[in-house]
Amino acid sequence: MARIQLRNLSKRWGSFVGLKPMNLDINDGEFLVLLGPSGCGKTTTMRMIAGLEDASEGDIMIGERRVNDLEPKDRDIAMVFQSYGLYPTMTVYENIRFPLKVRGIPQAEHHDRVMRAAAAVELNEFLERKPAALSGGQRQRVALARAIVRKPKVFLMDEPLSNLDAKLRVSTRAQIKNLHHELQTTTIYVTHDQIEAMTLADRVVVMSRGEVQQIGTPLQIYDRPANTFVAGFIGSPAMNLIAGEIRGGVFEAANVRIPGFAGVSDGKVTLGFRAEDAGLAPAGEIAAPVYSMELLGDSSMATVQAGGALVAIRAAKNFSAQIGDPIAAHVPAGICHLFDPTTGQRIDRRTVPAGKETA
Amino acid sequence: MTTRIADRRPATLQILLSGFLILWLIVAAFPFLWTLWGSFKVEGDFFSKADWMNAITGPLTQAQTGSSMTGDGYYGAWVQEEFWRAALNSLIVVVAVVCISLTFGTLGGYALSRSPYRYAFWLLLVALVFRAMPPITLVSGYLLPFFEWNLWGHLPTAIIVLVAINQPFTLWMLTSFFRNIPKELDESAMVDGCSRFQAFRHVIIPVMWPGVITTGLFSFLLAYNDFAVTAMLLSKENQTMIPKIASFLGTTQTAGNVMFAVSSVVSVTAPLFVLVMFFQRQIVSGLTAGAVKG
Repeated sequence: MARIQLRNLSKRWGSFVGLKPMNLDINDGEFLVLLGPSGCGKTTTMRMIAGLEDASEGDIMIGERRVNDLEPKDRDIAMVFQSYGLYPTMTVYENIRFPLKVRGIPQAEHHDRVMRAAAAVELNEFLERKPAALSGGQRQRVALARAIVRKPKVFLMDEPLSNLDAKLRVSTRAQIKNLHHELQTTTIYVTHDQIEAMTLADRVVVMSRGEVQQIGTPLQIYDRPANTFVAGFIGSPAMNLIAGEIRGGVFEAANVRIPGFAGVSDGKVTLGFRAEDAGLAPAGEIAAPVYSMELLGDSSMATVQAGGALVAIRAAKNFSAQIGDPIAAHVPAGICHLFDPTTGQRIDRRTVPAGKETA
Repeated sequence: MTTRIADRRPATLQILLSGFLILWLIVAAFPFLWTLWGSFKVEGDFFSKADWMNAITGPLTQAQTGSSMTGDGYYGAWVQEEFWRAALNSLIVVVAVVCISLTFGTLGGYALSRSPYRYAFWLLLVALVFRAMPPITLVSGYLLPFFEWNLWGHLPTAIIVLVAINQPFTLWMLTSFFRNIPKELDESAMVDGCSRFQAFRHVIIPVMWPGVITTGLFSFLLAYNDFAVTAMLLSKENQTMIPKIASFLGTTQTAGNVMFAVSSVVSVTAPLFVLVMFFQRQIVSGLTAGAVKG
């Protein structure tokens, strides 16, 4: 168990910047998710913490110890890889036992600890098999068991679910969440899947192009995205973003007219709102012909063109309209988020708490 | 009912194909079979000027030894001319060459396959150039210093030179085998508590066995079949099998000697047959290694 601190951690390859200086404090026992699209530096960050990649600058502290110059084996971490990284010549039992063996833990303890780890991920029936004779989900569970068998200070998980099919992903996700609850070990988890991030994390770090965009609880990130990148990345569908202009407290763009922005200075802005916060109405702030209709099961999603972008609005599941039918949506200023159109940064308003519907 | 594609071919084509295959088989196997048969005859039969059929029926062999087959060639070569000594030398040279080049090859190949630097690529390219050179070009350079330092004629000298000639190839081949092993294996081993070398030793090598065996086999063949280096660098009493056979051929004054060469050729080839048949799977996978990936 340990607290992890990253101080001005950065990574460069020649002139290419993989990670811009990053500061992060991870509490003891916290489940932290690094979230971002591929190439955003999240895996690089994790590999630097693991010691598989050298940091160009900055310090990595695990516990109160600076680990920059330590070998991976001396950092007291365990890692789960996307491609499992199981040893193909060993049985499941030997795979799980391997960390105990190479670290010289007394033989007498091995069997007990392997059996306990295997039981935690429900692998007991497969102990004599080789990894090649297992399914993807079982292999990933072996990797998990191998990580927990040693009780390390930190778990690192590099997209552990992305090679699994959708159904297995959900059950393994639950298993990881449960394991973390039981072991209370500091965990860093890398993913590009925002649903995994939302469901697993105590805190999420959203990253893009080697830079941290926002750090916060899943709810904070969902309710108060710090910039247009986070807004457009989190949620399914992602937040609608409309480029337009505010004049005299009224936001205007093609097919859009939203009043109620008193106190916001005039000028170009990017307006964002979530599809599930808005609703269809006989007459509303957005009026446009239907571009497409999608049934999602519990609801349906109507898409219209507004302000040069496609805007999704949630509707009842039995709502039906033909493409081209005119519809209107109620989008009060209270559900809207404003962003600077050039920097993409969030513009905070005093009058209305963002993300909370007050209308 | 299903028919195989081969059955649906027209009969003439079928016959033509089979005929060609049989012909090829005869052409390919004949020299060895002929030598094998002839090695049990006397020279007068096998190299008969009167009638080539004598090599098959063996009337002179009958007359000289009282039987149409004789082991005189083998006895002469192995016992009289001490071919067993050459076989022993060959064994020493081959085992040493294979062990040394595999040791350096696996360590170097692993390092090169995991190296993030560009010079790894250039090292391999230089290795390829040295591999492409005929071995004899290296030997001529070695001869003078070896004479001067009194190293000429000893087995270890030949072993070192053979390893040097062999190493680029083993390095190249093992590197491509190592590249096919995912990096995650080393990395998870290192996170699990191994040093780089322990990861190599406990995790990578067990996965690499087929590659190591294949490469070892190719090194074996190179050392076993070598003539240029061993003929130039070894003294008469330290000769390995191949130059020894050549020396049988070189002295044709006595009637028995050519037959000694013939019988020892058979003796040298027989183990190769066994070996290739035993390891055929590995050899094929070795020949195609790197063809698709890496």
